Amino acid sequence: MISPKLVEVGRHLNINIITNSEIKSVEGEPGNFSVTLVNHPRYIDPVKCTGCGECARHCPVTAVNRYNKGLDDRRATFIEYPQAVPLAFGIDTDTCIGCGLCENMCVAKAIRYDDVERESVLTVGSIILASGSQGYDPSKLDFLGYGKYPNVVTSEEFERILSASGPYRGHLCRPLDREEPRKIAWLQCIGSRDTNKCGNGYCSSVCCMYAVKEAMIAKEHAHCDLDCAIFNMDIRTFGKDYEKYYLRAKDKDGVRFIKSRVHTITEIPETGDLIVRFANESGQMQEETFNMVVLSVGLQIPETSKELAQKLGIKLDKYNFAVTDPFAPVQTSKAGVYTCGVFQGPKDIPSSVTEASAAACIAGADLSEARGTDTKVIQIPDQQDVAAQEPRIGVFVCNCGINIGGIVNVPEVTAYAAKLPHVVYADQNLFTCSQDTQDKIKEKIIEHKLNRVVVASCSPKTHEQMFMETLEACGLNRYLFEMANIRNQNSWIHSKSPALATQKAKDLVRMAVARSATLKQLNEKVISVNKQALVIGGGVAGMNAALGLGNQGFHVVLLEKESILGGFSRYLHHTIEGGDIQAYLKQLIAEVTAHDHIEVLTGARVVDFKGYKGNFTTDVQIGAQKENRTIPHGIIIVATGAREYSPKEYAYNQDPRVVTQVQLGDILEEKGARDMSAVVMIQCVGSRNAENENCSRICCQNAIKNALIIKKQNPDTNVFVLYRDIRTYGLMEDYYTEARNLGVIFIRFEADNPPQVVPSPEGMRVMVKDHILQQNLEIEADLVALSAGVTAEDTSDLCGIMKFNRNPEGFFIEAHVKLRPVDMPGEGIFLCGTAHGPKLITESIAQAQAAASRATTFLSKSEIKLSAITAHVDTEHCVKCLTCVRSCPFNVPVFNTEKQIIEIDEAICHGCGICAGVCPRQTIQLNYYEDDQILCKIDALLAGGM
Amino acid sequence: MAEEVIKLGGKKKSMFIDKVKEIIPDGGNLNLCLTCGACSSGCPATGLDGMDPRKFLRMAALGMDDEIMKSDWPWMCTMCQRCIYVCPMKIDIPQLVFNARGLRPREQRPKGILASCDMQLRNESTSAMGISPDDFVFVVQDVLEEVRESQPEFADMQAPIDKEGAEFFLNQNSREPVTEPNELLPLWKILHLAGVDWTYGSHGWAGENYCMFLSDNDSWEKITRTTVGQANKLGCKIFLNTE
Repeated sequence: MISPKLVEVGRHLNINIITNSEIKSVEGEPGNFSVTLVNHPRYIDPVKCTGCGECARHCPVTAVNRYNKGLDDRRATFIEYPQAVPLAFGIDTDTCIGCGLCENMCVAKAIRYDDVERESVLTVGSIILASGSQGYDPSKLDFLGYGKYPNVVTSEEFERILSASGPYRGHLCRPLDREEPRKIAWLQCIGSRDTNKCGNGYCSSVCCMYAVKEAMIAKEHAHCDLDCAIFNMDIRTFGKDYEKYYLRAKDKDGVRFIKSRVHTITEIPETGDLIVRFANESGQMQEETFNMVVLSVGLQIPETSKELAQKLGIKLDKYNFAVTDPFAPVQTSKAGVYTCGVFQGPKDIPSSVTEASAAACIAGADLSEARGTDTKVIQIPDQQDVAAQEPRIGVFVCNCGINIGGIVNVPEVTAYAAKLPHVVYADQNLFTCSQDTQDKIKEKIIEHKLNRVVVASCSPKTHEQMFMETLEACGLNRYLFEMANIRNQNSWIHSKSPALATQKAKDLVRMAVARSATLKQLNEKVISVNKQALVIGGGVAGMNAALGLGNQGFHVVLLEKESILGGFSRYLHHTIEGGDIQAYLKQLIAEVTAHDHIEVLTGARVVDFKGYKGNFTTDVQIGAQKENRTIPHGIIIVATGAREYSPKEYAYNQDPRVVTQVQLGDILEEKGARDMSAVVMIQCVGSRNAENENCSRICCQNAIKNALIIKKQNPDTNVFVLYRDIRTYGLMEDYYTEARNLGVIFIRFEADNPPQVVPSPEGMRVMVKDHILQQNLEIEADLVALSAGVTAEDTSDLCGIMKFNRNPEGFFIEAHVKLRPVDMPGEGIFLCGTAHGPKLITESIAQAQAAASRATTFLSKSEIKLSAITAHVDTEHCVKCLTCVRSCPFNVPVFNTEKQIIEIDEAICHGCGICAGVCPRQTIQLNYYEDDQILCKIDALLAGGM
Repeated sequence: MAEEVIKLGGKKKSMFIDKVKEIIPDGGNLNLCLTCGACSSGCPATGLDGMDPRKFLRMAALGMDDEIMKSDWPWMCTMCQRCIYVCPMKIDIPQLVFNARGLRPREQRPKGILASCDMQLRNESTSAMGISPDDFVFVVQDVLEEVRESQPEFADMQAPIDKEGAEFFLNQNSREPVTEPNELLPLWKILHLAGVDWTYGSHGWAGENYCMFLSDNDSWEKITRTTVGQANKLGCKIFLNTE
């Protein structure tokens, strides 16, 4: 999943990756920092290294493989993992014996034994700290036996065990005897929520979800019916749709969730199995034997990040997370220095990716004046038209050091290629991807008047773009290029049969040459980008998105359906940290309305919509007079928000003594807790039930926030919180601890045995079974506060017009849960705030800034080039069966009722080819992958005789 | 425990748990329970009397002071501290149990412990076995003489009593001199071979302290004062508590 991202970053013209380096010092001010780096020696030149791996294959030294958590070995000459960027090896001098073998083996002459530590200086305008975390080391928890019993592993180790590139190649084995376990236990909260042994009072946020995931994957990998048990205090699956995954694990896949913390693990020395003794919920001692125990270790800030913070002079909290403000989630205590990811606080991948974009947004605003002054742009010469010419094909066969050349007879393949039809030039290269070979290819294209190029080397996934750019650089259309993968799909897998591998390489080259002759010049449509943005929704998220764009100099139209800005935040008072929401809102509204680049339209309703990325047009009606207005815009940010669920449960709306948490917040704001003698709070009202399976994420902290206000105002008020799992993830765990410390009583109930609320003249009587004493409690309270969940705003009308996808709960669906959390599936459309799913104000702000940042990637360009790989319809032969209309995942093909034809708009076509595949009349062709261009490869293959 | 409904609510009342919190450091973190059950999972007394540390703490948190006072479970706790060792919140359950013992009128506390405490208070040895200083001196000298004769390598071993200015003051569980006198020997031999300058006291030599287990704080203090007083009187520098 992360590979394409790594490649994208690695190839990006304006991202300079400096590895093996640390910050020594930072001087200067926002907009002009001078950063001194210490560049540690790598001993292998990353520019020359091609990543072929010959050095490591011949290195005689065995070292502990830290990437696989010490579960296997690597060489002293190594690369951390196969997808690493830059794909360059390094030498671990702690273990290297200096034998010189790698230097002798390296054909690229990249070994630098005399490499030394250097210093370099960077001038930058903003700094973003994303130094991440490390897993907690459970060695000192002597009662768990980690480090003593081989089959007790950390979750990080187990992650590597499950990985195909891990120590056991993805086979589920335990370390002691490499036997497949039949029974595995996970112990949660190791190094989290523990102020006794490790001092990490916070929740690490991610362990519940990864433990469930590990159990599910382990079950998939196992050959037996693997028994998985997760010992936990609370299961915290609070993310979007996470609860559904937890329910699937529990109810469908039989993962056992046991509410208990294990005291001690003991080993059976004869078998290496582990005895786990625990008290169940009713206090009975249980004993189970597991083949393996996984310790779900928490996230911790490494010492190196502490030092980094000191060098930069930014404040850290008591757990060493960077201090940020609830209303400025990525701003550190020092101007111009931003943070994201776990260094800011424990969080999962979607939240980290979101925050990363948010940090880029705010950092970018600081630099907006200087935008484009320091960036590199490729200059492309005019394209020559070769359409009328006979194909003149050049074939470049790669040795890839000895990766291909050591198995495949490359000279033979080259000679063979030279004789194929239309081939006018064929040659071999040591490394076809190296910079000097690119220059050589350009030379040959000109010298031999080549109009098609075939490279027989590795995977197009990683290298196609680069070779296409080489073609462009000498005026050839980039689509006149074809690749044959004779490494990944040939030499690597047939290394034991060189003769057959050579034959297969010839087949692959013949097929590629045949296809290349059929390739056509394709022109990428260039569209202009309208620089105006449309933000729908004027709550905290929408306003922050508007500011994020406005502060970068883009013009924004902000639509709000109500007559005033603010959204649901108007009904909230304080964040759990104590941030004054109304004061913040006032200042935010003032800033937005006074902003030169932001136009606010209140009482606005979308009535029509058309267009595509870069060129949208939206019609809105404004105000009571329904004044019409047409807004052209390049991007859309959807921030339509959510509100509190209106309960049908627990006599709500029948008795005034039953209120929601938001209403309780109002009461506390107006009257305080002086008159309250006992308050009962009930969690998961309208969440985690049959109607709404998901967790509403914010209600636990909301209840605890109000409970704390009550207890601080009136310590004599008894507060009872009836809950299913307390989900105060991340640093909010401290407030849960504080609430207990102040005497709030937490009582867990089961979903199938919820509390009962009976109104009586004296007070509200709440009946619930105590989970520890297993006895019925009857609590007399003067107020019952329901922690009502989060309900998406009704956006049916909007979605009818704008065709946005929502999930069954009415929240908008993002393009990719982890990697594109603020992008919507349609390009140029972004998403933030509670419209995406329940979240805190802080999280909404970060997501709004993230959406603005993603939108900037469009708006900062004057024009965008669309991929030429799009589908087109031969309308004369089309029978209008509408199969394509039904099959397209992006709703691109439409039936034009006026012209009576199917139309595919190339501006919004994703080029996936599904329509071309399903068309029963073959009247749809996908550019670059036309039927003939694929079939000719098969013909060429069969022509060789199989 | 009876299956009756526990009634809660109304204003906060004065509770036993709050009194304990006041007298122990950091309030023993007694409010912080996550109800995770780590304590109960490791407690040797879990299940006895239908009780375990988590339940016991829960009863205290819910203000079930009567039930706590009536429960025999605090007397089944061995004060081993396995609970607090692993508790993620470092909750001092042993202190809660200790103070719960004190809730019961002294005369209603378990007979064995009560009688042993009373016996310790009655003699100058502070011995729960009731052995007098003279008898103790006699037994020590008798055992010493025998070993000096039968084991020539220990012919010059000493077992001093009331030796003024000795570096170490040693106490001794009174079970050994009464029932297993020969078990006194291994420690003497070690001290002898290590060349340690030590002494017993003729008064307050008994190391056990049943009054502590009885949660009788005054008597516990009295016994401790007797034995420490003897060490101070002899001018010893280090009190070696062998219990």
